[in-house]
Amino acid sequence: MAALSPVVLITGASSGIGAALARRFAAQGHDLVLVALPEPQLAALAEEIAATGRNRPLVVPIDLTGINATGRLAQILAAHGVEPEIIVNSAGFGLFGPAAELDRNEQLAMIDLNVRVLTDLSLRFIDSLARHRGGVLSVASLSSFVPVPSMAVYGATKAYVISLCEALHRELAPKGVRMTALCPGNVQTGFQLRAGIDGGRVRGFAFSSPEEVARQGYDGFMRGKRVVIPGFGNKMIRLAMRVLPRALFLPIIASHLRRVRRLPPVRPAPAPAVAAPAESLP
Amino acid sequence: MTGLRPVALITGASSGIGAALARIFAEKGHDPVLVARREAALNAVADEIAASGRSRPLVIPIDLTRIDTPVRIGHELGARGLEPAFVVNNAGYGLLGRATELDRTEQLAMIDLNVRALTDLSLRFIDNLARHRGGILNVASVAGFFPGPGMALYHATKAYVLSFSESLHQELAPLGIRVSALCPGPVPTGFHARAGINDATLPRLLTCSAEAVAREGYEGLMRGKRVVIPGRTNRLMRLMLHAAPRQTLLSVFDAAMKSRRAPQPPWPKRT
Repeated sequence: MAALSPVVLITGASSGIGAALARRFAAQGHDLVLVALPEPQLAALAEEIAATGRNRPLVVPIDLTGINATGRLAQILAAHGVEPEIIVNSAGFGLFGPAAELDRNEQLAMIDLNVRVLTDLSLRFIDSLARHRGGVLSVASLSSFVPVPSMAVYGATKAYVISLCEALHRELAPKGVRMTALCPGNVQTGFQLRAGIDGGRVRGFAFSSPEEVARQGYDGFMRGKRVVIPGFGNKMIRLAMRVLPRALFLPIIASHLRRVRRLPPVRPAPAPAVAAPAESLP
Repeated sequence: MTGLRPVALITGASSGIGAALARIFAEKGHDPVLVARREAALNAVADEIAASGRSRPLVIPIDLTRIDTPVRIGHELGARGLEPAFVVNNAGYGLLGRATELDRTEQLAMIDLNVRALTDLSLRFIDNLARHRGGILNVASVAGFFPGPGMALYHATKAYVLSFSESLHQELAPLGIRVSALCPGPVPTGFHARAGINDATLPRLLTCSAEAVAREGYEGLMRGKRVVIPGRTNRLMRLMLHAAPRQTLLSVFDAAMKSRRAPQPPWPKRT
């Protein structure tokens, strides 16, 4: 039981903020388990981290929205004699466009990943998180704070995430389990490609890099912060969202987003029904 | 294509706010279609509406936590020559207790119902709704405005409903489709029994009847309001919540929820 060694479980670790968080946690001396869809970047990241002299992360290529995928993930961890001290919920995606025009099944899959899987993983390992006095770092978004017309489902999933994290922060504090919602604004990653956003046009004054977001997320989490909003510009936006009435703010967001160009969303290659056998699986 | 008869599709219509909404829609001359799990209770509501001189509503007994249910509802309506002019997403439940102590499967099923089924049904009939210049009434809750330690998932699902509905309100306005989020405070219905909340501990000042909530919801939707908060005290509370520091709010709410546990969880397990 107590012989299981603690690891940081990071979902959506193959790119963007997830990969940046993986590098950050590795650099701070944590052992990692990297979870993402079966993509070559995942193994490459594990190699890169191993090359810095750290333990090679365990790699689990899996579609987390698959039937009982989270249960299988738990079995894989146990089979490797590891248990989570920290969960980093970074897997998630958005889609840009009117909800009525976007593919409905893809939007429902977004709920399954951004909401259901995130909740499942946050609750599933609570005993081992408490044993190691670790916690859960969930990637929310600035979109958590206000509705986002033309990203209706995405904005709502992130409103869910921040509400859940804030409540759990309070519920789990007595157990010594940290719970942090990381709320980045504009970050240039694969997110825009997946969402169907012309990324070249979204750089604004509140732009931050994945590395900066990961650094602030890590530090905020370790200090036990409830909500981390990286960057001064984003903090100002958050303030404006609080102060301005919604009836005023919604048209502002809508008109801002009208200027963003839509591209066809780039879907990940269809994942195999079950996790692809990786060299690191039993 | 045309020739389909417009109906108001109402989920969770077997009791509480859903049943009250079914009665109002019928009273205002719409044809409600009643969806819920419990067939006997659904039939009772349908009989009651028929007894008031309206045509007897179609009843669809079905479990909305199953992911194929919205498709099946679509087929059921199509087979009868019906199409929704209004969708009322009222089905939903909450659970009181620490998220780590409650049954995980039951909490995830809450997501499937409160979030996934609601989204699916909101988006599935857009063309029909537009044809009749109808609308979507999503039952959220004042719980959507703030996180709820002791009812963490429920509050989060309602935060989703609120955000989603507000965005849809903006997006669908050009199509002539109204979208409202109805945010009641405490309402004495089967909800509290299901959640494991002792009814006697509800703040009386904030409590409204299911009928009053349904009436304000119906009227708000018809007037094209984005958010409807029934009851003046609840509207005032909403303002105070907005201004209050989060840390204070979380502590107060945490303490309030601890005192609200029902003596025993009185609802049968879902099967």
